[in-house]
Amino acid sequence: MQSSDSLRHLLVEFFDLPANTPAEEITQPGISKWDSLAMVQLITELQNRFSIEFDLEEIQTLRSYQEIHDTLARKGVLLV
Amino acid sequence: MSLVDWIEGFPELQRKTIVEAVETASLAKVRRALRLLNELTPEQRGRPFTVELLSTYNLEPVLPPLELALSCIPSQARLQLAPLNDLEGHITQNIGVQACDVRVIIWRIEELLPEALYPFSNGFPVQLSSRTEEVVSRVHRLVRLHEAHAPATPLFLSTIALPIHFSNPLFASQHAAAVCGAIAHINGTIYDIATQRSGVYVLDICRWAALEGKLHADALLDFVARQPLSGRGQVGFALFLARCLRPLLSPARKVLAVDLDDTLWGGVIGEDGLENLKLGHDFPGNVHLRIQRELLELRNRGILLVLLSKNNEADARQPFDCLPEMLLKWEDFALRKVNWKPKHENLREAAQELGLGLDSFVFVDDSDYEREQMRQLIPEVLILNSSSDPLHTLNCLWTTDAFDSLTVTEEDRWRHDDYRVRASRDVQGHRHDLEEFLCSLQMEATIEELGSENMERAVAMIGKTNQFNLTTRRHSRAQVQAILGAPGSIGLALRLRDKFGEQGIVAILLATRSAQDGTLVVDSFLVSCRALGRGVEDALWAALVERANEAGIHKVLAEYRPTPKNGIVANLYDRFGLQRLEHSLSSTRYALEPIEVPRPPAWIHLTQKGNAKQ
Repeated sequence: MQSSDSLRHLLVEFFDLPANTPAEEITQPGISKWDSLAMVQLITELQNRFSIEFDLEEIQTLRSYQEIHDTLARKGVLLV
Repeated sequence: MSLVDWIEGFPELQRKTIVEAVETASLAKVRRALRLLNELTPEQRGRPFTVELLSTYNLEPVLPPLELALSCIPSQARLQLAPLNDLEGHITQNIGVQACDVRVIIWRIEELLPEALYPFSNGFPVQLSSRTEEVVSRVHRLVRLHEAHAPATPLFLSTIALPIHFSNPLFASQHAAAVCGAIAHINGTIYDIATQRSGVYVLDICRWAALEGKLHADALLDFVARQPLSGRGQVGFALFLARCLRPLLSPARKVLAVDLDDTLWGGVIGEDGLENLKLGHDFPGNVHLRIQRELLELRNRGILLVLLSKNNEADARQPFDCLPEMLLKWEDFALRKVNWKPKHENLREAAQELGLGLDSFVFVDDSDYEREQMRQLIPEVLILNSSSDPLHTLNCLWTTDAFDSLTVTEEDRWRHDDYRVRASRDVQGHRHDLEEFLCSLQMEATIEELGSENMERAVAMIGKTNQFNLTTRRHSRAQVQAILGAPGSIGLALRLRDKFGEQGIVAILLATRSAQDGTLVVDSFLVSCRALGRGVEDALWAALVERANEAGIHKVLAEYRPTPKNGIVANLYDRFGLQRLEHSLSSTRYALEPIEVPRPPAWIHLTQKGNAKQ
């Protein structure tokens, strides 16, 4: 799996997870506070952080670290 | 607006984290800042402040930045979000509003009058106009409902922002019934209501959104969550709301101490000479002229101007006497300190002469040296500008929140003359025997019951009086009304007139009646610093004791609670002849028993104005 530590760090901070949480464990089903309110706030956070705008299809594909990583990569966001 | 000034009392870690959260508009950082604020003591955080939000759109995702901004006022902010778009229902149910310090109603055209966005599908113009009138009636009705169910809670009504997304935007401004006209009509109604009703204020979202531009909005988030603000927009809106509510907690600064050369005019009078000063309608003199206009406006609404200039007085006066372009007059300054002493010494003297705290002062100077010296030696003083550029100074005057106030009372507007006369009075005082001097002032005092007519001034005084204040209890309007509503309580205000004119309300006394033994307990007793040394406290105290006596009360209890600023009244009750009961570092308690009505000072002509308690 491709990974980016800055995105993992962003999600760890956002969901207040233990600092060493592996990227593959960051998924919506695995995180109880990842509800619909958190989803809206996460969309806001990602758009703001990377200065992008998601389209309708893209916001359906932000349900895990990997999905977010791939969506951002498709939008040309350079993750390190 | 300066968030950094609001939070200067917080520890460095909290300050740094807050600034980073605001700059990045990152929710994770906002939450981190909130967690760090929770680690502070209540004293560090400020007063508890509960804000109830009613909105026609979904503010739930925005609560963290709102809470952070309100915590920075500073306060222990708590937000209560009413159910979505249920304005009338929530107001009439009275849930929790008693515990709120303020209620805020936020609405927008998309829910309030969506037809206006599609005028030709909704009976433009006749039918649409009558729908707009219905919304106007609804706004009036809501305010009446609020006043009936929560009369003591201040209400902020938002204006309606112009929508960003709709078709045919050019036509929208061409007809009064189209969307721009409809919104202007509704907003006009909201301004009118705030003008006419005390306790109702405007949260001018329309103005905020216009300044913020399109970047505050996010159409996707609006469709997904009925929440129209972008990440940046959320933080900007939160800071805007905090600035609007802040005057409820923090008193405005009262004095602007200002430099002369290169501020009020371009150039240095002592070196360049009168004919070379830059002031007038041409650049760059027009910038300095505009600075003078702003200062004159501040003065006319009650902010005191103090001149601090290193100059020979004769030189400094010359432009005031000889330059026709000068807008400010020599007499517009409540005090003038024109000499060669360090400015911080002059400012300290000015504070003493005006009877005001150093934290009432704002300082403007083009010299980096003078600003830095003031910052280091009197940290309480707010330094307004941070460079020598006059346009920067003008910008600071336009945007500063140091003088923010929601209302400007008649008393505020007289203040300038009052302080000026006071300074000259002090000089006269040396010539006469004190009592003779006081008699010569021809003071007339009216004792009024506290009620709706004088409530605004009373609450303002309770919020900001530091020196002559026996207990320094900062009651909100709601708390004062609760005290007045209790059986047997007494609330009095003293209104003063003297030969110089109307001075307005200058002293307040609040007392409650013990349910157990009928004792009268003095809750708050304060006198405006403008009226110190004139015996008004004796007159008001005599009026209270007289009322207690008439009510058959046998005992009055009173208390002095020391603060860093109220040493002036440490022995007031001893002077009034009360008996000391207990003394500790935080409080000295007194009793008056049996009741003996003191004689009010002979030099004040006293009248009573009886009106029903509200």
